[in-house]
Amino acid sequence: MNSIQTDTIVIGGGIIGVSLAYGLIKHGSSVILLDREDQNLTASRANFGLVWVQSKGYGMPRYAEWCIEATDHWPVFSESLEEETGSKLNYENTGGFEICLGEEELAARVKFIEDMRMQSRNGQYEVSMLSRDELQKMLPKIALGNDVSGASFCRHDGIVDPLNLLRTFYQGFQKRGGDYRPGHWVEDIQKDGSGFLVKTPKQHFRAQKLVIASGLATTKLSNMVGMAVPVSPQKGQVLVTERTSKLFPFATGGIRQNANGNFMFGASHEDTGIEIGTSTDILKVLVSRALRIFPVLENLQLVRTWAGLRVLTPDQKPVYCESEEFPGAFAVTSHSGVSLASLHSDKLPEWILEGKIFPDFDVFHPRRFNV
Amino acid sequence: MFKKLPQNGEKVSIDFEGKRLETVTGQTVAAALLGSGEMLFRESAVTGQPRSVYCMMGVCFECLLEIDGKPNQQSCMILVQEGMKIRRQQRPIMENHASA
Amino acid sequence: MQVPEYDLIIIGSGPAGMAAAVTSRGQGLKVLVLDEQPTAGGQIYRNIEHLELHRNPEFKKLGRDYSEASGLVKRFKNCGADYLSGMTVWQIEKELVVRVVHNSPGQDKKSPLSFKAKKILIAVGAMERPMPIPGWTLPGVMACTAVDVLYKSAGIVPKGTVVLAGAGPLLLLIATRLLDAGVKISALLNTNPQNALLKALPHLPSALRTPEYLVKGAGMLLKLRTSGVPIHFGIRSIEAQGKENLNRVRFVSSKGTQTVDADLLLLHQGVVPNVQITRLLGCEHQWYESQRYWEPVLDEWGNTSVPGIAVAGDCGRVSGSKVSELSGHIAALETARALGALSESKRDEQASSIRAELKKQQASRPFLDTLFEPQKSWIVPEDEATMVCRCEEVDVGEIRNTVRLGAHSPDRVKAMIRSGMGFCQGRMCALTLSEIIADELKISPADVGYLRVRSPIKPVTLGQLVSSE
Repeated sequence: MNSIQTDTIVIGGGIIGVSLAYGLIKHGSSVILLDREDQNLTASRANFGLVWVQSKGYGMPRYAEWCIEATDHWPVFSESLEEETGSKLNYENTGGFEICLGEEELAARVKFIEDMRMQSRNGQYEVSMLSRDELQKMLPKIALGNDVSGASFCRHDGIVDPLNLLRTFYQGFQKRGGDYRPGHWVEDIQKDGSGFLVKTPKQHFRAQKLVIASGLATTKLSNMVGMAVPVSPQKGQVLVTERTSKLFPFATGGIRQNANGNFMFGASHEDTGIEIGTSTDILKVLVSRALRIFPVLENLQLVRTWAGLRVLTPDQKPVYCESEEFPGAFAVTSHSGVSLASLHSDKLPEWILEGKIFPDFDVFHPRRFNV
Repeated sequence: MFKKLPQNGEKVSIDFEGKRLETVTGQTVAAALLGSGEMLFRESAVTGQPRSVYCMMGVCFECLLEIDGKPNQQSCMILVQEGMKIRRQQRPIMENHASA
Repeated sequence: MQVPEYDLIIIGSGPAGMAAAVTSRGQGLKVLVLDEQPTAGGQIYRNIEHLELHRNPEFKKLGRDYSEASGLVKRFKNCGADYLSGMTVWQIEKELVVRVVHNSPGQDKKSPLSFKAKKILIAVGAMERPMPIPGWTLPGVMACTAVDVLYKSAGIVPKGTVVLAGAGPLLLLIATRLLDAGVKISALLNTNPQNALLKALPHLPSALRTPEYLVKGAGMLLKLRTSGVPIHFGIRSIEAQGKENLNRVRFVSSKGTQTVDADLLLLHQGVVPNVQITRLLGCEHQWYESQRYWEPVLDEWGNTSVPGIAVAGDCGRVSGSKVSELSGHIAALETARALGALSESKRDEQASSIRAELKKQQASRPFLDTLFEPQKSWIVPEDEATMVCRCEEVDVGEIRNTVRLGAHSPDRVKAMIRSGMGFCQGRMCALTLSEIIADELKISPADVGYLRVRSPIKPVTLGQLVSSE
């Protein structure tokens, strides 16, 4: 079979793969983006669209800093992507809440925020606690339920339309001459001189650099080039309501209203293996909590439900690594593909293409799972 | 446009946008409105286009109305009840409507 | 509230559902029939009891089929099945739990909202195939059968000038009913290709086994001709025009471009199985090329690929009310066998006479299906500004651009531009969406697939969701 030559091959058409592919092409590399058959499990399409800091990086301060850097870069990043494509991402740096029900949750949240502040190395972690009254004052259009005891608030947090983001990346990638190949399931990767030969049933591809951002297939593909990246699936179910007037212009962990006016509720955490069905009992749990926070939403009509699989490493933190055995092959995985998209596009290409070393970046290497 | 043939059934009156409409039991809200000469049911949710009944059998969701304060009710599936208050379904108010 | 249990839950009380209820009750099964419409009879015999009782002259005009169907409704009502109307199914779980809501407000506390079954029979019928043309979202443009529903269920008829456009037996039937009701039809735009009859002729001998259908069809054509309705052939394009309402219909025929005034434009492009529930349940479906739709894969008893789930009537394959009724009887016999109420040999014995009749009733299908073969030009609109997803307002051009961006399946396109994400949950655009993607990629819709259907298949409030048992 003849092969097609390019500078960089990215395997995986989800939000991480396409944000990297777009960033790499922007940094001057020619890129082929390979994506598998469509009846797949892409987490990116079941996404909640939070650009989120406040709960991320517990136990790994470098990850918390990385998230803050990413969210702080989001405004610049989204403006340039919107300008280039003419599309709207509906990104808003609204600030975000974690809303607590009952005193026990509130106490646990206070302690968590304090722990996060303590581990912070540069005092950047700016999350404050709000009383119920303070929270209600910030939400003049929607009444809190009786069980709401307070909330944490982080000004870095924001929201974006995750599906617009995915589409816009594809537009930007295509506009810059990127070569997107859906329906290409990678069967084998081989060393090929100083580069790589990537085989799919339809076509072979050659490149000097290879980036594996393949979600749940990352473990298998990384193995082919000497990297051990353990990932496992975790199901999340999401609900979407009819459109209603703008009532809640903020982000929270489990409730948001998108730019079209639809409320979204999410997301469950289920270890069900490779399976993306929705189930009434889980949806009821999600909605029950949301209605305890905002009882007035009970008359909203549920229009859609969705489920996707999160791609989780054993400590749920990202992996960024280059193969020691086959330099030039990289693996990237994270379940914060939206929050980190700004850095994945604008910063990681420097690491992949130019070998730039970021401070303490080694903490993201998967060798941490071997101890 | 539509007109009513002689109607059978118990008389029912409903309120549509402040107007009193006479109809009979057993009719759906959509049929009662069409029979009274009303064609415009709602604004479309995205751009506010005028919309009306399309399928009359529960498939298309074009006949959505606000019924007794509840928005987006499928009026071809709901039977009239005495005193029902019915309004056209308006597009929800978003701060960023121009760009929606 | 406790979840009531049944041997068989039938969804839909059209000809198939009613027949299945009667037969399964005859075998002693405990049966529940659910229907989202307020009265039994399905769309074909909509409001039939009321018509017979209170609008008898009109009922008689509807023909012999109606008097026969009236007998079926009476048997259904007396068969001892529990029957709940005005209730919409929004979810069915693998454990065969059926979840419903009442359509009319204030009813929720009157009866349980979840039911458990040993077997489920889906008999939800067909729906009109969407016929996207420029301007079809204007008030005054409707599906052809909508006026039939309005006439039968509410005694409401069109006023002013009516234009009918499309192809299919139902279009002719409804045109003649409108003439009977004194409605003025200012044009009938026949989109059927002019060589259709020639193509269908080889199937005519088989169709002669049930000459009554042909006689009926010929009668309708004659009526239209003699009534002086202008019939236009060789239609290439149709556009609905107006600002707040439909005012005019512009069309291009073999004779050039014409514009006619219209208060109502009725579109029809045949009917297709309503597959929302079989899709929800993950039943295997196949692309039926001749009629350009998906249908659930069924065995000769109506069993789907999912254990416990069977299908009868037009939601399996569109075959008309008689065939639907017979398939309902057959599915009920099989259910009785599966539940141990009927031996296999008894089932086969009872089914054999029904099958003979079924074969006879199906004899005219190849002729009709060929005569009214759906035309791709009326499914994949040429004009790129034509709305496809009416809810989220997505047009042909946006879909094509998204396919060119690399989205090669309905779910991918949906995720990128929201087509299929609105209130109708894809019912009005899913077929068109698959067809456009297939057209753009130059492959068959069979290889493109269909939107993934998930619960709720009809909207339910958050309050109703959390309070469901």
